[in-house]
Amino acid sequence: MGLREVLTPFTVWKRVFDEPVTIKDPIGRPGADRYRGFHQNDMDKCIGCGTCETICQNAAIDMVPIEGVEPEKGDSGLRPQIDYGRCCWCALCVDVCMTGSLTMSNEYTWVDTDPDKFRFIPGIDGDWKDDVAGYEREGQRVLSGVERIHMEEMEPEARICNFDEIVAGYTREEAVLEADRCVECGLCVATCPAHMSIPDYIAAVRDQDYDRGLQLLYETNPFSEVCGRVCTHKCESSCAALHEGDPIAIRWLKRHIIDEVPFDRRIELIGQPVEPNGRKVAIIGAGPAGLTAAFDLARAGTSVVVYEALEHAGGMMRYGIPEYRLPYDALDRDIGVIQAMGVEIKTSCRVGRDVMMEDLQRENDAVVLAIGLHMGRSTRVPGTDGPGVEKAVDLLRRITDGEEVPVPEQLVVIGGGNVAMDIARSMARLQKAKYGEVGITLTALEDIDHFLADPEEVVESREEGVEIFDARGPQEVMRDASGAVTGLRTWRVKSIFDAEGRFAPAYDESDERVHAGTMVIEAIGQAADTSLLGEALTEALEWNRGRIRIDDAFRTSEPWLFAAGDAVKGPDVITAVADGHRVARTVMEEFSARQVMQ
Amino acid sequence: MRDIHARLKQRHHLGQFERQRPGLAFFTVPREYLRGLLLDLRDKEGFSHLVLLTAVDWMEEGLFQLTYMLNNRAEDVTFGIRVMLDRDEAEGDSIHDLWPTAETYQRELKEMFGINFPGSPRIDDEFILEGWTDLPPYRRDFDSLAYSQQTYAERPGRVTHDPREHMKQKLYPDGV
Repeated sequence: MGLREVLTPFTVWKRVFDEPVTIKDPIGRPGADRYRGFHQNDMDKCIGCGTCETICQNAAIDMVPIEGVEPEKGDSGLRPQIDYGRCCWCALCVDVCMTGSLTMSNEYTWVDTDPDKFRFIPGIDGDWKDDVAGYEREGQRVLSGVERIHMEEMEPEARICNFDEIVAGYTREEAVLEADRCVECGLCVATCPAHMSIPDYIAAVRDQDYDRGLQLLYETNPFSEVCGRVCTHKCESSCAALHEGDPIAIRWLKRHIIDEVPFDRRIELIGQPVEPNGRKVAIIGAGPAGLTAAFDLARAGTSVVVYEALEHAGGMMRYGIPEYRLPYDALDRDIGVIQAMGVEIKTSCRVGRDVMMEDLQRENDAVVLAIGLHMGRSTRVPGTDGPGVEKAVDLLRRITDGEEVPVPEQLVVIGGGNVAMDIARSMARLQKAKYGEVGITLTALEDIDHFLADPEEVVESREEGVEIFDARGPQEVMRDASGAVTGLRTWRVKSIFDAEGRFAPAYDESDERVHAGTMVIEAIGQAADTSLLGEALTEALEWNRGRIRIDDAFRTSEPWLFAAGDAVKGPDVITAVADGHRVARTVMEEFSARQVMQ
Repeated sequence: MRDIHARLKQRHHLGQFERQRPGLAFFTVPREYLRGLLLDLRDKEGFSHLVLLTAVDWMEEGLFQLTYMLNNRAEDVTFGIRVMLDRDEAEGDSIHDLWPTAETYQRELKEMFGINFPGSPRIDDEFILEGWTDLPPYRRDFDSLAYSQQTYAERPGRVTHDPREHMKQKLYPDGV
């Protein structure tokens, strides 16, 4: 120590009578307006995604259940609890917050003798809960991308004259960028009917590990070619990213994985089924529910035969969904993997005609009914009987089969669901090929904001020249003296349901329109064709409003018969897949129970 | 400001003039021209005040960026001068003889980023981290979370829940 160090302390004595620049009692002095003090959380805005917990570099945040906040679609019901013994006030949690619910007050003094008091749930605890001053993120979140990576699609002019697939699929570079936007919170998993491991397979895309991605897909869904294209993707409506930006393109990323794994490699990765267990199951209907059940049962060693009335397997995936949305070869690859598991599919084999229900019952340990909804319903307004009025499902089936269907220059479609859009857009393509022009009017009971069809279906239909009249109720199919259809008369819909919520449309009769057209296509819903059951079984089964009654596990009232898919539940492919898994599990549980009994 | 930049550009190999707002502009200079530039700015252009010296870790590019903020009090203008260093070598040139305060900044950069300034007084003395043995903590490859988990004890009684698992338990416990 030198002389300087010894003397320096004494030099401060010259300031002993100066006014101090420090504050004598700093307690109570407010922080700056943007000071990062104790956290605040808007409990209604917070969705419990836990991204704040994930980013915290001090492991200061726990996600905890809160009384009165229940998990629901898009909200885990959890809320962050912060350990102030660890928090370093860096505000990364605020910057990364997916909804902007998490902010900070400018309050920074808090004295307590109990260390556990400093473990704290913002939004519930703290006097600064509603303070306005403090730190919040300026502008939109930047730590994870806000905009969806654009998907290449055919322009309307290019696609309207053919049935080529519209959506191109992501390149690897695009897929990685899109996957990178996902924060892997997993809120989407509960919404997916099949509870697919969405965050895990998105992570596999990001890691470019397509083998792992494919294995994850097959754990919950043997129809990724299909669902990667036409899934109703409800998962995307509970994505954390949608609160400030576009939801992650979950459906396109699923399709990307399957695009990247060649057919043979898929079979290799899934592996062969376990040893045969000696059980036999017959499945009626080769749609998504029946084939998913077949896949699960076959992998568990059960011998499975699927009976399909139509010429090809696939059910509504083939005969309902047009080729421009789901090419047949993509569907064939999904079905091919299922067949590679040892599932035998007997096509053009109608139960009740080519094979009898009693025989299936006698020769199998269980029968699963997955017959779908293939009979179009009619509005039954005057004029629907007779030529010139068609059912959408019948026409779609005939187009798939390559049959010649009547294509008038001007036609009217009734319905606002996906089937209505499918038939309108299919007929538009045929009109374009035949006349060079599209002449389609579509009327629906719902107003445009409440259409049952996916929003992109409505947009694309309009792009392709389909003219949509919403909130119109059909009153009569107009015919001329010779009986030929000339158009559809409609009234404006005032309301669709009555006070008790029953279907009872009310019309404004003064607002009448006649939509010209020489064909009317009804696309207002379908029913199951249950004639295959035969009289005795129909009588024996319990029914529920025209549908076969099933319990939570998809058992009918007959111990050997199970039912799944659109015919008993609906409404989409992914739900049918989920049902297929469930019914397969029930059948296997049934087998185990019988084994115990024996 | 543009005129000063234009005047010194050739001699000191200055990079592009980037105006950020009135009275504040940035540019880059090669390491070997830094000292000459600082001397000219201090002694001929009135930039007598070193506001701060800090660094940015451009890990992916393999570079450290030093930023020298120099202020001309009379004119109320500030220059941000950037020098890019090789990240592996991580060594800059000390300017403690031009501004004595640089000594403190350089000690901080040595401790927080591991950037050495040979010849700078007390460069190896601890600055604020006592007994630090890990990677310098401002380097982006330093894993803050792993460090805090290893270093600080967990308060007993903490429980967290995974959103996905929690929703499964509450909404579809048997998996369907």
